[in-house]
Amino acid sequence: MATTQYLSYRMKQPKILFLIVIALLPLTLVSCISGSAQLAKGWAGTAVHEGIIYVGTADGRVVTINSSTGNLEWSYSIAPVTAPSSGLACGPTLAPTAIYGTPVVDRDIVYIGTYSGKVLALNTSARGEDLPFPQARYGEWEWDCPIANAKSNAIVADLAMSEDALHVASSNGRVYSLDKGSGDENWRREDIPVLAEKLWASPVIQGDTLYVSTLDGHIYALSLETGELLDWFFESEAGFTSSPVIDEDTIFLGSFDRYLYAVKIGSDVPMWKFPEEKPAGNWFWASPIVNEGIVYAGCLDGKVYAIYAETGEELWQFESQDSRGKPAAIVSPPVLVGNLLIVANEAGNVYVINSETGDGERIKNRENSDKSTIDAQIRAPFCAQEGLVYIRGEDNQLYVVDIEKGEVSWKVNLTIEE
Amino acid sequence: MGFIEVWYLIIGNPVLNVLIALSHLLSGSFGLAIIVLTIIVRLISWPLTKRQLKSSKTMQDMQPKIQELQKKYGKNQQKLQQEMMKLYKEAGVNPLGCLWPMLIQFPIWIALYQAIMRALATTPENLLDLANRLYSWDIVNQAIPLNSHFLWLDLGQPDPYMILAIIVGGTMWVQQKMTQAPAVDPRQQSTSRMMLLMMPLMFGFLTLMFPSGLALYWAVSNIIGIITQYFFTGGWGYLKFRSPSQST
Repeated sequence: MATTQYLSYRMKQPKILFLIVIALLPLTLVSCISGSAQLAKGWAGTAVHEGIIYVGTADGRVVTINSSTGNLEWSYSIAPVTAPSSGLACGPTLAPTAIYGTPVVDRDIVYIGTYSGKVLALNTSARGEDLPFPQARYGEWEWDCPIANAKSNAIVADLAMSEDALHVASSNGRVYSLDKGSGDENWRREDIPVLAEKLWASPVIQGDTLYVSTLDGHIYALSLETGELLDWFFESEAGFTSSPVIDEDTIFLGSFDRYLYAVKIGSDVPMWKFPEEKPAGNWFWASPIVNEGIVYAGCLDGKVYAIYAETGEELWQFESQDSRGKPAAIVSPPVLVGNLLIVANEAGNVYVINSETGDGERIKNRENSDKSTIDAQIRAPFCAQEGLVYIRGEDNQLYVVDIEKGEVSWKVNLTIEE
Repeated sequence: MGFIEVWYLIIGNPVLNVLIALSHLLSGSFGLAIIVLTIIVRLISWPLTKRQLKSSKTMQDMQPKIQELQKKYGKNQQKLQQEMMKLYKEAGVNPLGCLWPMLIQFPIWIALYQAIMRALATTPENLLDLANRLYSWDIVNQAIPLNSHFLWLDLGQPDPYMILAIIVGGTMWVQQKMTQAPAVDPRQQSTSRMMLLMMPLMFGFLTLMFPSGLALYWAVSNIIGIITQYFFTGGWGYLKFRSPSQST
């Protein structure tokens, strides 16, 4: 370049190098920041079983908390993973294993899928005694998901449990069926179809069929016995964001095109799409819930909608907000407690809404009523039992919200210092 | 509104949405979308490129005079600089003007890098974040999730076969060689040679580190640069030019 010729007269070599380094510095910095942003952090939900709260934490542990005392029962640390680097970002490092799925509890065994592509069966007694994992005599096992020529074997979806098996949707695009007792695969690998580039939605069981939705806009039906594809599938123009929910013979799920779909099993056209006219303000990310003919769906536009399951007509809508009064995305699925709908938004506000009328109230922050209910983002699915709602915040704390009192009763820090 | 919000409002989100919309229009090919975006960026920056090429052509035409000066004042660098600046001034050429098209591309590179990483949404957090950055256009929302495969490349990952690194480095070398006037002074010759090699090597190295989607942008941008330079300046320029010392 003429510039080069000019510069070679004007500058000494180190100065030229310095100029180039300075010029590339912004790209380096951005790649460093963006590279770290590529890290999967997880948003495991909470489960309650016989007075014990089960939760996956942001630092890669499965933790159990006594719901009466708030004391830690036991914690199991999943092996950390090597986090990938991106661009000029600061090289690979060890990072906690991300957990997205909610723990599934069956008697004294808790099952969990990890972003590192494992399914673990943990026995509460063995973990309470802190025995080396896995203790086969306690029914413990670990299953490694194959990558199978895919980019990843990460498990993002919740596990679906049937009487004898666990069903796992993997980022390698396949669904696996595992024996609950041994972790052995029930289906022949050669029979398992590749459904999509990756599967992040949780499979749903109905009868002897497993239904799976994909990010590229399909709903597939698989034989629960063999894993083989059944004849019926549904194809949409846009991909599906949320996991499907089935009520009788209808599947409800959200889509990237900002509609909530109702699809009759066996049909190749949607029964209805909601909203009827123009699309919602953003994606229906959270799985909807269905109760007594009404679908309750949280949307990333900050609203929760109540819709007649049969017709797709709107019953009511309620807008959730952040502490500045702006709409805040609803990422976690809502939960019904009697006739009260509990909704939490990403800004950390928790609402109690009358499921019939749509009238709702925000649960206030105990220390400062102007602030959000909890001082952290809420993305993880939460659960409720006996008037208490168990929410894991993105600050890795467990918050227990008392619906009747309308306040956060107590909280526990889930990060355990070594 | 902070710098980051302004950045996403003005550059980051528009690049992201245009890229995704293009991908949808081009049958879901994210690679073709990057190529078309590169062409759009080159068209937008055409006035600057045109000035750069004009200046380059003028400097090419001035080469005999410059070589005369180099012969005449070769031993007196200060005088040589003064005379060269005088010559540039008379011809109305700013030698540093060539840096502008490159500097203007930095924000595009950064926005494109971010757009590629965000659009391909490798983690659930990325996908959720994407929801907040997309416009309400149907064309954009229906395009998700994007297909990251293009030819032999996974556009979110560096090219494992180094082919793109060779293309980026090679095309950059050709483009520079076409406009870099040969020096007469042996010391300047070594500096020129170093400069000619350093940028292609650096970008070749960056190609091995960055997602191949960004490297694809660099490669296509270089190829467009070579083509426009060829037609605008009427040939291969200094690529075929031999300095007097080489020719004797």
